Amino acid sequence: MRLGGKEKREALNPWDIGFGAALLVFALWALFFWFPADIPTGFFFINSVGREEPGDAFFPIILASLLAGLSLIQMILSWRNRRSGDEAGVTGGITLSNLKFLALFLTVVGVGLGLMYWLGPVTVAVLNAAGLLDGTYRNFSDTVPYKYLGYVAGGSVMTLALIVWAEGRVRPVAVMIVIAVLVVAILLFDVALRNVLLPPNADF
Amino acid sequence: MEIVFEYILRGVMEVFFTAEGAFDWLPIAMVFGGLMTGIAIGATPGLNGPFAMALSLPILIWIFGVNDEALLPILGFLIGIMKGATVGGAVPAVLFNTPGTPDAYLTTLDGHPMTKNGQGPKALKVAHFSSVCGDTVSDLVLFVAAPVLAVLIESILDLPEKGALIILSLSFMAAVAGSSPMKGFIVGVLGMLLALVGSTLSGNGPRMTFGIVELGNGLPLTAAILGVLIIGEVFIGLEEEIRKKVRKVRSTLDTALGDNTFGWPERRKLLPRIGVSALIGTAIGALPGIGTTLAATLGYDVARRFSKTPEKFGTGLPEGVAATEAANSAVSGANLIPVMSLGIPGNFAAVFIILAVESVGEFTLGPHVFRFTEIKFIEDYGTIINDDLVIAFAMFTLMMLANIMNWTVGGAFLRSLGVLVKVPKSVMLPVVLLITLTAVYAQDGGFIGVWVLLIFGLIGYALKRLDVSILPFVIGFLLSPRLEEYIRGGYSASGGDGLFLLKSPLAVVFIAASILILVLANRRRKIPEEA
Repeated sequence: MRLGGKEKREALNPWDIGFGAALLVFALWALFFWFPADIPTGFFFINSVGREEPGDAFFPIILASLLAGLSLIQMILSWRNRRSGDEAGVTGGITLSNLKFLALFLTVVGVGLGLMYWLGPVTVAVLNAAGLLDGTYRNFSDTVPYKYLGYVAGGSVMTLALIVWAEGRVRPVAVMIVIAVLVVAILLFDVALRNVLLPPNADF
Repeated sequence: MEIVFEYILRGVMEVFFTAEGAFDWLPIAMVFGGLMTGIAIGATPGLNGPFAMALSLPILIWIFGVNDEALLPILGFLIGIMKGATVGGAVPAVLFNTPGTPDAYLTTLDGHPMTKNGQGPKALKVAHFSSVCGDTVSDLVLFVAAPVLAVLIESILDLPEKGALIILSLSFMAAVAGSSPMKGFIVGVLGMLLALVGSTLSGNGPRMTFGIVELGNGLPLTAAILGVLIIGEVFIGLEEEIRKKVRKVRSTLDTALGDNTFGWPERRKLLPRIGVSALIGTAIGALPGIGTTLAATLGYDVARRFSKTPEKFGTGLPEGVAATEAANSAVSGANLIPVMSLGIPGNFAAVFIILAVESVGEFTLGPHVFRFTEIKFIEDYGTIINDDLVIAFAMFTLMMLANIMNWTVGGAFLRSLGVLVKVPKSVMLPVVLLITLTAVYAQDGGFIGVWVLLIFGLIGYALKRLDVSILPFVIGFLLSPRLEEYIRGGYSASGGDGLFLLKSPLAVVFIAASILILVLANRRRKIPEEA
């Protein structure tokens, strides 16, 4: 299985033409669906002195039209090269193996971020239910240890899981490095800099 | 001429003295801190200068704020990193044959054989000496060329021409970087389009936000750029590490050390070689987007061609190390020529200089900076002066300060960093991911920055896998708001003429050149494969 999908093209390269097709579809979707629904002023608008001015859709429409045109040219070039038997040289692609890696990678990151976001609030809710605390996570988001719970747990799970995955083994030195990085991050972002918050405390 | 010296003097004073006239150690300390950080980062596999600059910027902004006084300390640190990382890259290449960047590969050709011959410390001395020489030559060219170019540009360019010039630089970058110029230009336009999400010039509410309130001020700039540049690279690097899962056996410095002296007679002998490479690097660096790899390749190739003993190249020749290092280091200063004179970044390091300038204080880069307006003192009002020009000369002073520090203490620090090369990528990349996530969260004050970071990381990953250069995407993303201003302003100023870009002969030349460059570059790419 090829890594990174580099290959020499002999016929029509699906990634070459697919690149153009995907961006053409995106540009057309932006022009006919996204912009009309999501830009309050149009291509032009009348300003307070009654003069016609370019609206907020003016430049996005120009860019999206340019993108559509260029994508079409890219598709035609890919098709022409195939018909004339030209080789376009080394071109990249995304393999099933790449997608599997991405899915697993994003799962690990997702689990880490999920822990980071929920662990603090869930812990406070459980302690609330047990009658050991009184208040929401917002009340405790600047109190040790609650304010560090999610960051330390989520950060270490995510980082260690990726290291173990990459190395195929658990090394004590890797654990020590992750702990050291988390301590430095807390000292820097929470202790030294008073006007910023560690994840997830700014969201509560 | 007197007015030029007056501005230069004020720029120098701006660095060393506070407004009250007291000596100011802070910018000097920041340059020093940045330089040491840069050398250490450059010597660490998996890390590079733009990464350190990207991560430092939000931290520096929190520490110093965004007022005018914060600009020089912040720029000092970033300039220090930029210069330090260029020099530091030689450590893993020379000592362990593990180049962190493509241009450092050429340093391994003679640098690592020198290590194997017991001359590792000498190879690092040669690399450091050549690198700092190249960098200094390049900076001197920047100081002369940027003001001259800026004055020329300011006198002939109006809104349509400036807009067309941005398009020209985008097509130039697409043509020289990556495997497909057309795809490069397309992703440049895509980057421009995505940069428009959120805020508007008219102030009529947010646009293109899908109703996400947090995007009302636009996509978080640092998160987006870090995503494409750093997280995309982390995805790729980790995937490759996971596939390998082979513990690398690194060579060590156990080899018996030979003669490692590098005295002035030998340095003088290398100077012509270094000079030629420095000029090659400077010329290439002044053209946006070409980068250090071509400079290093050309520098090495020219040195070998004109050598009396070309067959000895690759066997551990100091000339080989000197030619490569002088050429790739000379790129960094010259890369700031389009930044200072046009406000257009030519490489990733320049992107972060521009980000710093746009985030902090009221100084803006561009041709207007180099207006040598008459300095007048008016009673009860103050001094009328072009403050931007003073800041520009202060920036040049910071660069020279970094060079002096690099000359004096940089070499010793560089040679002490061999241990960093032993940090494996499998540990470094997840740690980089965690630090980046934390920094972005803290800067943007919520998970919105983290989502943008990951989404742009996926874009960076896809572009890399598809062999499309990410530089045009980043440059397009960064320059889009300015291009929108020029295009809308130009259209309004023309009285609503839809063909206003084609009414200016110079703008027509720029647009025609953009098309020509793309067409020629596309044809050129095919020739080697057809041959």
